[in-house]
Amino acid sequence: MRALKGVSFDLHGGEVHALLGENGAGKSTLIKVITGAHQPDGGTIEIGGQPVRHLTPAAAHKLGVACIYQQPALFPDLTVAENIALRLEPASPTRRVDWPTRRERAAKLLHQIGADISPDAEVRALSMPEQQLVEIACALGAGARIVIMDEPTASLTQKEQHLLFAVVKDLRASGVGVIYITHRLEEISQLADRVTVLRDGESVGTSAVSEMNEASLIKLMVGREVSQIYPPAESEPGSRVLALKNLGCVAGGVREVNLEVRAGEVVGLSGLVGAGRTELARILFGITPADAGEIFLNGEPVTISSPQEAVAHGIAYVPEDRRRHGVILEMPIAANMTMAIHPRIFPGAWLRFGAEQQLALDFIRDLGVKAYGPEAPGNSLSGGNQQKVSLARWLATKPKLLILDEPTQGVDVGAKSEIHKIIRQLAKAGLGVLMISSDLPEILGMSDRIAVMRGGTITAMLSGKSDAHDVMAAALGQTK
Amino acid sequence: MNTDKRGFKSILLRHETILVLLLIAEVLYFNAAGRRFGTLDNGFNIVRHSVEIGLLALVMTPIILTGGIDLSVGSMLGLCAVLFGKLWRDAGLPPWLAGICTLVIGAACGGVNAALITRLRLPPLIVTLGTMSLFRGLAEAITQGTDAFTNFPPSFLFLGTGRVAGLPTQAWILLFVIVAVWLLVHRTTFGRSFRAIGFAPEGARYAGIPVERRIAFAYVLAGVIAAAAALTYTARFGTAKADAGFGYELFAITAVVLGGTSIFGGVGSVHGTLLGVAAIAVLSNGLSRVPAIMNTASELSGMLTGALLLLALAGGLLPKLFAARAKQSASSAAAK
Repeated sequence: MRALKGVSFDLHGGEVHALLGENGAGKSTLIKVITGAHQPDGGTIEIGGQPVRHLTPAAAHKLGVACIYQQPALFPDLTVAENIALRLEPASPTRRVDWPTRRERAAKLLHQIGADISPDAEVRALSMPEQQLVEIACALGAGARIVIMDEPTASLTQKEQHLLFAVVKDLRASGVGVIYITHRLEEISQLADRVTVLRDGESVGTSAVSEMNEASLIKLMVGREVSQIYPPAESEPGSRVLALKNLGCVAGGVREVNLEVRAGEVVGLSGLVGAGRTELARILFGITPADAGEIFLNGEPVTISSPQEAVAHGIAYVPEDRRRHGVILEMPIAANMTMAIHPRIFPGAWLRFGAEQQLALDFIRDLGVKAYGPEAPGNSLSGGNQQKVSLARWLATKPKLLILDEPTQGVDVGAKSEIHKIIRQLAKAGLGVLMISSDLPEILGMSDRIAVMRGGTITAMLSGKSDAHDVMAAALGQTK
Repeated sequence: MNTDKRGFKSILLRHETILVLLLIAEVLYFNAAGRRFGTLDNGFNIVRHSVEIGLLALVMTPIILTGGIDLSVGSMLGLCAVLFGKLWRDAGLPPWLAGICTLVIGAACGGVNAALITRLRLPPLIVTLGTMSLFRGLAEAITQGTDAFTNFPPSFLFLGTGRVAGLPTQAWILLFVIVAVWLLVHRTTFGRSFRAIGFAPEGARYAGIPVERRIAFAYVLAGVIAAAAALTYTARFGTAKADAGFGYELFAITAVVLGGTSIFGGVGSVHGTLLGVAAIAVLSNGLSRVPAIMNTASELSGMLTGALLLLALAGGLLPKLFAARAKQSASSAAAK
């Protein structure tokens, strides 16, 4: 997989240049290249007009590149002044700490960006935006000419956003070039001078913000054909398997979700990273139980407060993080496949190795798992085959509702289309499938209906025949 | 389809083979150098003396398999011994009834650990470090540090000194617990769950395994068996004092880890634990029978046990180290 192929990007001093693209378009990789964390295997980088070779994080830092991440990387137990000093102070030969100078510099930098933060405050006590301001102060103190901000407003309130915008505008006025990454289109028109759109690892266009509108940006972001062939829908949706009424969970950041899944249909759940899709799945599977609203399974109201209850109700969840949650890597695939059906396949808690072997062999054959046998440990399998093992574990429970979370993430193309075929067959066999995916073509190709989440709730229900533009517009919160 | 059968077969087999060889070497050496080592009586002696540590090590195995640890088992033994004495002497219960009550008390002590670990989600190391002090302190408070319960009736002392069908009475208890824990760990879904939890606690949760219930079970079981060990201990010495089983938790953990169970959870076996117990028990008994070193036997046995443990741990890492080296040199050769 190439994360980036052919990106052209330029940044002037004194401008805010927005970087836009859907999940997996290559924004993060581009940043890693600019900050020296990853080495490009083709093309050139110039900083300040000088070509740069073998950019390392230290070299990037020297050249004035600073990055402010979504989650500030400060030491929570140290004070603001100490955190700034750790970034900026060279190691003095005597190892003495000059406390007054340290404080003074911190105070000066904080004042410069208009932040009302005491240098003596512990970082632990600061709010998220305050921590971001400390990061910006560090960048300024290091004499950064290029400041990269990765979704800085993702966790900020409206008011905090305005404060941050003011600081960004100050940076621009002082001649710093800012690369601003965001999913929020409205921020681009408020803040940015130019915008570059990435798609599938390529830059597909750069233009002045004044020449663009939201619609044309969305078009640039998604403008690709559904290149893969997806298996056709063959089933008529049957009875209602799942219905949610105003479902919410404060801890998961999910609120007022209304949704229906019928037997025999695949409902795609789309949305940007952080929209609350996985959180919704975790509620339905009892990991973070709901604290508001109602869940109906086959018309019956139920409460689900643990994964065991979810399994008992016929809900299966193939989680997103295959290596941590989907498969126990150190254990044989047969043990993995029977893990969710212990009470049924092992009555009285006694292991029945023969029955387990048989079940594993059946699934290995039916799903085409490539492994040397039922005893192969999970970590000896490729990503796609691990995913099939994870799927087998849940199919073994004979579920009524199958929730798939990014079922083909990190899976090679061949295994991907096999998994798609399996999903289609399952729907045909009468399962209700709720499929979370950040892969837009997958959502469009597989779904009978598409639910779009944004800000913890479902903001749009679209038909499976919708196009990429509609889904992306709903995910970005653009109202027609 | 035992989880330890294939994936870890080579490692475990190796480990257990080494332990068996070590045990044979110990027996051969002490038989040659020791006085009256190789007698049936001494064999029984070794068994009698290792029953309590054996019991504790057996129930420690599932706990360590889940990635946990129980430092409080030695203190639970002490508290249960004292409460047994109290129930028998002061409450006037017959020994068998007092014994049953003691097992219930042991379950309750384990339940305290389980509740703190699963409900409050505190780390087992810290929880059981706390209850280790708490239970021992309670035992001392009950006896005011000096009181000791003695003069138990012969019918009870039989448990610690008598023989049934030619074997020491408590050997039968040990045998029963060995079989039960072996079946639990290697033949039931409980054992599966322990391993799954040890490898990936979140992964086990996402697989619908009742993680909290399984962990709680392991700690409560440890409490019950620690109480049983308190009974055999009291019957063997004829006395129940607050310092009963002092430091036994460390012997038990040593035996488990020596037996090849990973302190990080997931990997391990009950038979490995048994070999670990045997290696330690034979070593300490044998040293006390070699005339030249008799007087320093207990110091020596502590030192040698420690050395063994470190060697076993290092030995377990060696194959990995060699593999990494080979890989490294191969890749650097390829680079050239």
